[in-house]
Amino acid sequence: MLLRLDKIQRHFGGVHAVDGVSLEVEQGSIHGLIGPNGAGKTTLVNVITGYVPFQSGHAWLQSDKLTGLPAHRIAALGISRTFQNIRLFKDLTAMENVLVGMHTRRRDDTLAQLATLPVFRRDERSRLDDARALMETVGLAAKDIGGRPAGTLPYGDQRRLEIARALALRPRLLILDEPAAGMNPSEKQGMRELIERLNDDGLTVLLIDHDMRLVMGVCKRVAVLDFGRKIAEGTPDEVSTDASVIKAYLGTGGDKAVASAPGASAVGEAEPPIEAAADARPAAEPQTAILEVEDLTVSYGAVTAVRGASLRVAAGEVVALIGANGAGKSTILNTLSGLIRPDSGTARFDRLDLTTAKPSAIVRHGLVQVPEGREILARQTVLENLELATWGRRDGADTGQAHAGRASIKAQIEAVMKRFPILSERRALSAGTLSGGEQQMLAIARGLLAKPRLLLLDEPSLGLAPQMVDEVFAAIEEIHREGTTILLVEQNALRALEIADRAYVLETGQIKLSGSGDDLLHNPAVRRAYLGG
Amino acid sequence: MDFFIQLFTDPVTFWNSHTLLIAQIGINSIIASSMFIVLYSGQLSLAAPGFMAIGAYTSVLMDIDWHTPLALNIAAGVVLAGLAGVLVGLPVLRLRGVFLAIATIGFVEALRLGVILNLPITGEGLGLKNPTADPLGGVNMVLASLLVVLFLMWRLTKGRLGAAWAAIRQDELAALSQGINVSRYKMIAFVLSAVLAGFAGGLEAHLNFFVDPGDQQYGVTRAVQILTFAVLGGSGHFVGPVVGAMVVTTLPWIFQQAHDYINVVTGAFLIAVIVFRPQGIVGRGGLAIIRPAWWPHRNRVRAPSPG
Repeated sequence: MLLRLDKIQRHFGGVHAVDGVSLEVEQGSIHGLIGPNGAGKTTLVNVITGYVPFQSGHAWLQSDKLTGLPAHRIAALGISRTFQNIRLFKDLTAMENVLVGMHTRRRDDTLAQLATLPVFRRDERSRLDDARALMETVGLAAKDIGGRPAGTLPYGDQRRLEIARALALRPRLLILDEPAAGMNPSEKQGMRELIERLNDDGLTVLLIDHDMRLVMGVCKRVAVLDFGRKIAEGTPDEVSTDASVIKAYLGTGGDKAVASAPGASAVGEAEPPIEAAADARPAAEPQTAILEVEDLTVSYGAVTAVRGASLRVAAGEVVALIGANGAGKSTILNTLSGLIRPDSGTARFDRLDLTTAKPSAIVRHGLVQVPEGREILARQTVLENLELATWGRRDGADTGQAHAGRASIKAQIEAVMKRFPILSERRALSAGTLSGGEQQMLAIARGLLAKPRLLLLDEPSLGLAPQMVDEVFAAIEEIHREGTTILLVEQNALRALEIADRAYVLETGQIKLSGSGDDLLHNPAVRRAYLGG
Repeated sequence: MDFFIQLFTDPVTFWNSHTLLIAQIGINSIIASSMFIVLYSGQLSLAAPGFMAIGAYTSVLMDIDWHTPLALNIAAGVVLAGLAGVLVGLPVLRLRGVFLAIATIGFVEALRLGVILNLPITGEGLGLKNPTADPLGGVNMVLASLLVVLFLMWRLTKGRLGAAWAAIRQDELAALSQGINVSRYKMIAFVLSAVLAGFAGGLEAHLNFFVDPGDQQYGVTRAVQILTFAVLGGSGHFVGPVVGAMVVTTLPWIFQQAHDYINVVTGAFLIAVIVFRPQGIVGRGGLAIIRPAWWPHRNRVRAPSPG
């Protein structure tokens, strides 16, 4: 065993980010680590690499004990990593980035430097050759880009450069944290070939990624985390059919859960035949829609997040937009809210062109987003959060009845508090002290105060305990019954499909499936969109 | 204008009539280098005036009380400033950014208001007379020291130490993941910076007959002036802060026609530089901006100059 973790525990306050995880990574293998958002994968990596201390448990790299060592010592022992959100030294050149990676195996040359001894030149030449070779290894042309500041390189090259820097350490274990995030299929293929090539040369790799095709294709063993616990481990085939894994990824249905839903099929039970995928007849799209999106393409710099997505929402519908992490769901919502501008395509809400309208105008028009992660003002009280949501409203101001307007706003705040009684109870507490579910209620209440005709909900169940998920979904259904149209983005696919009239399944930025909620609920293709295979 | 005309047409007279200014530029350049080291390693420390005070008072007091030679006095000041750097660095280097700046200002003010203005030995706010000062003769020593300091900066930033500093400045977490002992290298930078400031303080005291414990000398005002050297000149290359020190120190002479409005004019000039060249006069890419086109320079791929 190269890396051995024994019952690692890491809590942040009351949150068990890593809860007793044991893991063994075999020398020379590619080991996968997967799990839904917030499962604790990155925290586990931070614990292994010494960035955050852990409360209990043990960790060894071969015979070296990692427990309690500072991060730079662990790196020097031979664990090197890349970062989920690339952390290159942006203003240093590509070459200098790789040279910094050689720090631990470079002798201290300060005195030689001061004396300008020739020994420095010789060492420097061999280091530069070494760095150039590393850049070629990861597929970068040192000659062309070696002198450019790392921050100016294209996205894919930055990912590769980060790997070259990590390799410069001559690691025993390389941890890759989402190396293929935001890459297009051919870049992903290139990344996969690179990982396999490094492994062929004898390097042990611990791979974290949301792209199941990559993880399942390249790893010999895969461990699955959920809520800080390891819920499954085995070969890719074993893991992708494991009932608890499917449940972790697709969520669980509520009381309406149907036996044939993918989350309900236990291990060993006959899976629904694949041909059922063909049954997903596209549910008739509504003729009259209040939201019409045609051929939307959105990118962040060089990364294309959404490719030609089209969807429609009619008044009174609940439409779900589901898909794995990084599929482009939030990007679509942010584009509709005017926070991101698309490269091409159209998006209309009633007669308002969402691709050019100001975000504030879009809200005034009645399209309101409740953002992922709630984004409440943690230090303000619950009441202040709600009052601030009405800040831009000028009810009655134009008719000279500002006083009546203020009174009506007060009444509206009371009305939303009545709907979410917990908020009324907690009105004087600072919002940061609320539980995750209560914060989500507050975020939704804040959205309602903007008088939405179409409410965009981004991951309302993210990180919530199951009972809380029930409450949030009950609230969503009630809001819908009162006449608000809802576009719902969810990772918890089964739950979203239950309450949705129609749904779209998004995979790597493209809409792969659409249909009525019930149809998709029984469609095995949905599972594949999440877990690959 | 007269200032520049004289500089180019009659450098000998210029040297003779502006010796004090040239010496002050040299001193400020050394202090700017002290600032450069901390900024280059990503620490916004404003502690330099405190270490300068330690260097200055140590050296002058030794001269007055024990009549020891100048070299020994300054060396003692440097050593004490370095020790103070270790003591101050241990607690404050856990802080980052503006919090570090505030903590180091706290050190500077505590030293000046709490110690220097209260101890009988430092003159209790009246300052110290320094009878053996040598304002005109000191200039050669200052300029020679500046050359040595610039050489040290150049070599340090080229080596493993400089590479580690540059990495820490860019991203501490990523630097840790490359096996760089971040707190150790930050400490090295902080103490080296203290040593340089102490040295500059000792030199400066030798140029003046009077050691003035005022705010513009060893207080926050001086700290801000030193920060201006670095920001104006650019802190990505060791030449930057020195250029900044030259410009800022010379400004009152350049704009002397403005008379009463001189502070307004120099302020407007500084704002203009920051607006049009936010990376500083010597920006990234080192000397590229002021290097003549015909000057031979190595391919940047081959030159591992961080920063």
